[in-house]
Amino acid sequence: MDTSSPSSPSSSIDSNHNPPSSPSSSSFSSICLSSNHYLSSGRSTSAMRTRRGLSTDLSLCLSTSSSHQSQRRSSWPPLKPLLKSATVGRSAEEEWQHGSASGLFVKVYMEGIPIGRKLDLLSHGGYDDLALTLAHMFKTTILCGKRNKAPSDKYYVLTYQDREGDWMMVGDVPWEIFTSTVKRLKITRADRC
Amino acid sequence: MAFPFPDEVLEHVFSFLHSDRDRNAVSLVCKSWYEIDRWSRRRVFVGNCYAVSPRAVLRRFPEVRSIEIKGKPHFADFDLVPEGWGGYFFPWTASMAVSYPWLEEIRLKRMVVTDACLELIAKSFKNFKVLVLSSCEGFSTDGLAAIAANCRNLRELDLRESEVEDSSGHWLSHFPDTYTSLESLNISCLLSEVSFSALERLVGRCPRLRSLRLNRGVPLDRIASLLRRTPQLVELGTGAYSADLTPDVFSSLSGAFSGLKELRSLSGFWDVVPAYLPAVYSVCSGITTLNLSYATIQSTDLIKLVCECHNLQKLWVLDYIEDSGLEAVAASCKELRELRVFPSGPFEAEPNVALTEQGLVSVSEGCPKLESVLYFCRRMSNAALCTIACNRPNFTRFRLCIIEPRKPDYLTLQPLDVGFGAIVKHCKGLRRLSLSGLLTDRVFELIGTHAKKLEMLSIAFAGESDLGLHHVLSGCESLRKLEIRDCPFGDKALIANAEKLETMRSLWMSSCSVSFGACRLLGQRMPRLNVEVIDESGERPETRPESCPVEKLYVYRSVAGPRLDMPDYVWSMENESSVPI
Repeated sequence: MDTSSPSSPSSSIDSNHNPPSSPSSSSFSSICLSSNHYLSSGRSTSAMRTRRGLSTDLSLCLSTSSSHQSQRRSSWPPLKPLLKSATVGRSAEEEWQHGSASGLFVKVYMEGIPIGRKLDLLSHGGYDDLALTLAHMFKTTILCGKRNKAPSDKYYVLTYQDREGDWMMVGDVPWEIFTSTVKRLKITRADRC
Repeated sequence: MAFPFPDEVLEHVFSFLHSDRDRNAVSLVCKSWYEIDRWSRRRVFVGNCYAVSPRAVLRRFPEVRSIEIKGKPHFADFDLVPEGWGGYFFPWTASMAVSYPWLEEIRLKRMVVTDACLELIAKSFKNFKVLVLSSCEGFSTDGLAAIAANCRNLRELDLRESEVEDSSGHWLSHFPDTYTSLESLNISCLLSEVSFSALERLVGRCPRLRSLRLNRGVPLDRIASLLRRTPQLVELGTGAYSADLTPDVFSSLSGAFSGLKELRSLSGFWDVVPAYLPAVYSVCSGITTLNLSYATIQSTDLIKLVCECHNLQKLWVLDYIEDSGLEAVAASCKELRELRVFPSGPFEAEPNVALTEQGLVSVSEGCPKLESVLYFCRRMSNAALCTIACNRPNFTRFRLCIIEPRKPDYLTLQPLDVGFGAIVKHCKGLRRLSLSGLLTDRVFELIGTHAKKLEMLSIAFAGESDLGLHHVLSGCESLRKLEIRDCPFGDKALIANAEKLETMRSLWMSSCSVSFGACRLLGQRMPRLNVEVIDESGERPETRPESCPVEKLYVYRSVAGPRLDMPDYVWSMENESSVPI
């Protein structure tokens, strides 16, 4: 074998194989926002119908695509989650330290993505606004009330931990009460709620 | 034998055999040795929780006190194994709760451990002493509270890099006031704050505490008071290493550190403020292990700290240390055995620090005892790799990650075959190797020819054809774990070396060129292999054409048969009848 000829493997380099310039340079997932939405894994429509009455005023459903690209981006270079969050998360930390003193910063974690983010709740007017920020933050596409466009296998909901340490669904209480009790946010798989 | 030794004598002799391999060999000599080993085996290691059933282990070794089990494939660390894949500890703990009332130690890696598991442990094992959960998930601080409340003889609680749901920071207060046996506590992975007063009380009443690794939530200004209660500490992981800089905090901190006469290991240093680092200088001469993976500070500050540690054997650090820092390490740390350098900007397109292959060359020249390396960098050359290999033929672990996939030798633009070839040629005792950069099948030929002791090999974005995989499988006779991603390796090499796979623990292949048909064939031909295809497309196996490449393939030997807890997206290739044609 002629080792001096790298042309064959190097010619196969394409954008899929190059490390991204930022951890969120492609669309990982889509965020779905609807005013009367039920929390469901999306597997059983009858279960969804019966649960409609228990729906929250707002829920944020995210569905991740399992495309090769997104996996490659989070899995290369091979770093364990804690290390990734310690290094990549640093810019968020700096923002936090140098940000406005009057802000209300909370951490947001998304299941399956080891890197947490921070956002200022006080710069948001309400749940819709928050949904938009999260959509941007996790590089998602907002589907307002058009759930059928979302891939149907996995759904995510937005939950928060309150001051007492309990985990709650986002959207159950008025925005002002929410902002006064929220400690942190988590985007969780719906079938685990 | 005319006058065989009495069983008691043999049992005593066997007790001096500490390696699992030796014990296994002994048990194969004859029936009576098998029986003696069986009844006297106190420690069992299960490298893959699906390779054997809990029942089989319990039946064969009735007197086990300590068990270590591993679950998910190694690539789970890097998000390649989907959520819900498996690796559940519950079946094990349920069986052991009945059969091993005297179990003392559980060590798990990459397993799903629920609060129910922890509660069962807490109430089933009367003399439980050691719980190590490494990269595990599925439990919360409620489960930990159950352990704390019930395990009166607990010596070690180590959560390593587990993902713990924080439901309350008060779980530490569940350790009863009469509890004093703690020797080692690692809570560095917890995300939320722990109750500091509970921690302080706990630490203060456990005189044998040797190892304490705190989490980021423990503030620097509180650490001094903890350390004054624990002058006997050998290992310390600090919490956040930052506070408003005041002379009071600094002097109290350096006073507390100087009292730690036994200290050998330092880690933590989240959010570190460099001005506080001199507080640890007084203990540096005794430090052998220094983990600065979370210390995001610049080269000059790192150099000052590391160069205080002349007896350093193990250093983990971010690439902020740069080439100049590694040169300083090479000059002052002559005892260094292990070096890991992690990237601070893994997703940035351009280098953010001056760290190149030169840093590794310096350390390989200056540190004669260096035997283990994990090094992330952005450029490499064959010349550098050859120099490194010549400098340090004593490497047993060599893992190099060039961040951009398929990056050639930056000087000659050639593949790095020759460089990695030099590593396997010179380092006869190499057991673990990770490859990166531009590589042709030639490097795998060299690996197959020379790496006879190699046990674990990680390959990404490399090779040209089946030949590469064939060289590895046919040549590396000690190989136990092989993990491959994004390589053009396919059916031929896999099927041709099917027997080899039975001698290995596991093979992982993702985004390669293995077809569905080959996986099926492998599963049918090799009944003692579990062949699992991971396909998240949402389709069913019967809809797959034979020639369709599989997303992910995980093959492992097992005496337990196909596992029963597979999620929808894992398809077992064992049973012909389940796949109608």
